[in-house]
Amino acid sequence: MVDITGQYMLNLLLNGLLIGVIYALMALGLTLIFSVLGIVSFAHGEFYMIGGYVVYFVLQRFTNLHPYFAVLIAGLVTFVIGFIAERLLLQPLAKGEIERPAEYAILITFGLAFFLQFLMIAIVGPFPKKAARFFDLPEISTDILVTTATTLRIFEVPLSGNRLIAAVTAAILISATIFFMAKTWLGRGLQAVSQDRQAAAVVGINPLKMNTLAFSLGTMLAGMSGAVLVAVFSWVPWVGVPASGKSFIVIVLGGMGSMPGAVLGGLILGVVESLGAGLIPDPGRALAYKDAIGLLIFALVLLIKPTGLFGRDL
Amino acid sequence: MLEVRDLYVGYYKDLNILQGIDIKAETGKLTTVLGANGVGKSTLLKAIYGFLKPNAGEIYLDGQRVDGTPTFQLINLGISYIPQQTGIFRWLTVEENIQLGGWTFRRDKKRLTQKIDENYERFPILKEKRKQQAGELSGGQQRMVELSRTMMTDPTLILVDEPTAGLAKLLSQEVYQMLVDLRDRDGLTIILVDQEIRQALKIADYVYVLDLGRNKFDGPVEEFSDLEKAFWA
Repeated sequence: MVDITGQYMLNLLLNGLLIGVIYALMALGLTLIFSVLGIVSFAHGEFYMIGGYVVYFVLQRFTNLHPYFAVLIAGLVTFVIGFIAERLLLQPLAKGEIERPAEYAILITFGLAFFLQFLMIAIVGPFPKKAARFFDLPEISTDILVTTATTLRIFEVPLSGNRLIAAVTAAILISATIFFMAKTWLGRGLQAVSQDRQAAAVVGINPLKMNTLAFSLGTMLAGMSGAVLVAVFSWVPWVGVPASGKSFIVIVLGGMGSMPGAVLGGLILGVVESLGAGLIPDPGRALAYKDAIGLLIFALVLLIKPTGLFGRDL
Repeated sequence: MLEVRDLYVGYYKDLNILQGIDIKAETGKLTTVLGANGVGKSTLLKAIYGFLKPNAGEIYLDGQRVDGTPTFQLINLGISYIPQQTGIFRWLTVEENIQLGGWTFRRDKKRLTQKIDENYERFPILKEKRKQQAGELSGGQQRMVELSRTMMTDPTLILVDEPTAGLAKLLSQEVYQMLVDLRDRDGLTIILVDQEIRQALKIADYVYVLDLGRNKFDGPVEEFSDLEKAFWA
């Protein structure tokens, strides 16, 4: 039985927020794909997995390279793979060449997921890999905040430096994505297609190009989520499967197709999982219940408010 | 001038809703297409605008064949389309909606600003509500947003599909007045598909009546007074 104190609760809360930011980044990609293409990509977790491997191997090969460059390379690689996959596999869907589009989308993205997973097993093998810490935290010592190279203590609550770096990086990427969507022409074009595809075509926006852009950006965001986490978790070719599941929960919780919903949903899932697991009386089993808590939220949202927090009317 | 020749189109390849339609819309005139529910009026506009692929027939704009042109490129030919259901971007602001009308010249900031200002002059209420989400506006104001967005590119031809469907009577009058202004003040060619037969006849120059996917009658609006009785018979 754990001793529940204010400090313990704060620890759970902060750790939940840190992982929640990563969930949010990954779900942002999935929600972008859903809102523009109208499909749920079951291969989303595999792009997350590839992003992590890219960073791992780039940092192995170029040891002096700044890790953020490796994260950018991971983003670029997953963008390009997403671009090719959309053009080859999903474009026929948008062109109306497929007789049963909904079934096709499920099968083709499932197929892509298996293909990428087994391809990576063939390339890198099944054994876990983990990237070195991106960088050391600067050493600070004040009454409120004490840091060492690997940990940070705020109000005596310890946080992992690796997780903090991953979360801050993810927060920067989320902000950049939101800025891109709200303030640039391409971002508004994507929003326009997601809100009314026909009206977007009438003003001259090419919906097929927007589909490709949305899918590529979505896979890039998944790839970058993996890229920032490869120094936190051990990486195996099937690491994307549970991550993908979390993204589905987040976008249902936040509202399918809603970007603010994806961000808030990610944070809520992170915190609820952390608090839920941390408050289970038997600490030996607590971790095993973590995923079950997420699925419970998934079921409750579908039962009580199927449109999610910010979802558009069905 | 827009000319539709012997057009066959439907939602399935072997089931044509339109069966050999011929339409001519003269430049600077308002041509209305009337007919009972389900005769294919909206289908005609969707086919002209590339949302439906014709199974046979041809569409010409000023002598240039335009059927088969992707929808998103038609705006470059000066054609625009206002669908029956308001086609606004509900979760974007009024100003963002209007701006998106200038997608094809988005790098020309000067022209963008000038066109937006022109639209605010045309519909001052939109300037007041420019920061508001377009989906929060009234039906009539949403039509204004849609028209403003359409006018950003200075189209020469607009296809309008039942613009007053679901609107209150007073708002409907406003919308018809907007169409008249677009023809008389801006010199636009308009093809109007409508269920509001009397209203459409008040503002039209030329009338086509369709029946079960075929041309039933066409002629200048003045000739329609007798036929109106026949239409209602």
